[in-house]
Amino acid sequence: MIITRPKPIEEILSMVEMFPDLSICVVGCGICARKIQTGGEPQVSMMTAQLQHCGLDVLDGKMVKHACSTESWDCLVEEDPALDKADILLVMSCGAGVSLLGRISGKPVLPGLDTTSLGSTLKDETLEDLCVMCGDCDVGLYAGSCPKSGCPKSQVNGPCGGSIDGDCEVGERECIWVKIYEILENRGMLELLDGIRPPVNHDRRL
Amino acid sequence: MGFADVLGSGKFVVTAEVSPPKGTDISGALAGARLLHGSVDAVNVTDNQRSMMRMSPIVLCHTLGEMGFETIMHMTCRDRNRLGLQSDLLAAHALGIHNILAMSGDYPTMGDQPSTKPVFDLDSVQLLQLIEKMNNGSDFQDKPLDGPTSLYAGAVANPGASPLGPQLLKLNKKALAKARFIQTQAVFDAAVFNEFADAARHTGIPLIAGIIPLRSAQNARFMNEKIPGVNIPDEAISRMEAAADPALEGLEIAAETIAGIRTNCQGIHIMPIGGHGNTRRLLEMCGLD
Repeated sequence: MIITRPKPIEEILSMVEMFPDLSICVVGCGICARKIQTGGEPQVSMMTAQLQHCGLDVLDGKMVKHACSTESWDCLVEEDPALDKADILLVMSCGAGVSLLGRISGKPVLPGLDTTSLGSTLKDETLEDLCVMCGDCDVGLYAGSCPKSGCPKSQVNGPCGGSIDGDCEVGERECIWVKIYEILENRGMLELLDGIRPPVNHDRRL
Repeated sequence: MGFADVLGSGKFVVTAEVSPPKGTDISGALAGARLLHGSVDAVNVTDNQRSMMRMSPIVLCHTLGEMGFETIMHMTCRDRNRLGLQSDLLAAHALGIHNILAMSGDYPTMGDQPSTKPVFDLDSVQLLQLIEKMNNGSDFQDKPLDGPTSLYAGAVANPGASPLGPQLLKLNKKALAKARFIQTQAVFDAAVFNEFADAARHTGIPLIAGIIPLRSAQNARFMNEKIPGVNIPDEAISRMEAAADPALEGLEIAAETIAGIRTNCQGIHIMPIGGHGNTRRLLEMCGLD
């Protein structure tokens, strides 16, 4: 699940201004953004109405099944020919969806959302920062809770000194190291944390 | 005598903190350090503390060194990747700086440049390991250095961390990574510190206890709210509120804290609010000047 957040409307308007006199289609994504209600039908309709209210040439909003995965632009247009009528696309999906639609449509694309992390949903709860896609995964050592993503300072050898009663010093979140420690202590497996973990090997991402 | 020798001799050490300027004029920082002359074993120089942008500590450490001070340069992992850390360690060594305090660093959103990119390529344990490698003549990738460093590296810990288990896990790794001393977050509760010292004793690493003399009840509440890891007990805040001379009361509270932990640490580190005007007085109150 890719976690996205709405962009401020002022930012979207300033991007749209770069393309005067062109028609816009707001495109939502049927997977992650729809699930976490940042780029589903209601959000696409609302964005379309907001832009129309600003006097812009906005066509009816559209949904694609998954903005980040498709056979081709022609396949998407075949499903909904109206998609091809707009001059530019305002895509309410993660950055990967925006990039893919930009690559295959031949049209200018604008991001309607900010992509913040790789997370998940559990019932109605959105869980952010579950993975930083470091390319060097060792989450099994941390009871399944990755400190590279769950700790804002990506501390892999234990917590910093800033947590207060189990809460992180940054924002409103628990210190992931308190959680990791508790789980492994209860399992009698604290020895998994013995020894010094090396820093992330960044060239594995290349 | 260098800081390593003083600490190694078993002496109860006193260190104190000065901050580089937010600008090019270092005269204020030097004036602050002069107040400490003859009273401290080393002067710590901070590295963009609380994520507030300031001059690099390398310059101030070097200048203080020329003035005859022994210095301890703070180095956080927040602002530099492993290349930058190594470059600055070599630069510091070349300028005669030999004591390093390795730490993760406060998160950027705490400071005055909240939109900056947090680096944290290494953590403080890995930074200690890197320093050890450079002392043995090689860089992070095990390539030989043209001249090894001879850096004496310490690290930090928070005795008031709750729960303590994860904090001790990190401390044990700092011991494995050959931290020579541990400087602690500010101590306001002697019992909490002593419990931590008991739990840390097996590492054999000397503890240097952080001390912040309180200035006012308002200032104490501010620190409780804004400084990560600081926990000032209500009793101390009540005393500050009732005091006719809050600054003196703050010194007395600090002196009592030092008396209460003295047998469980090998030194204190003074981090005053607003300069070192009262530092010598505090040391006199403790019989340390």
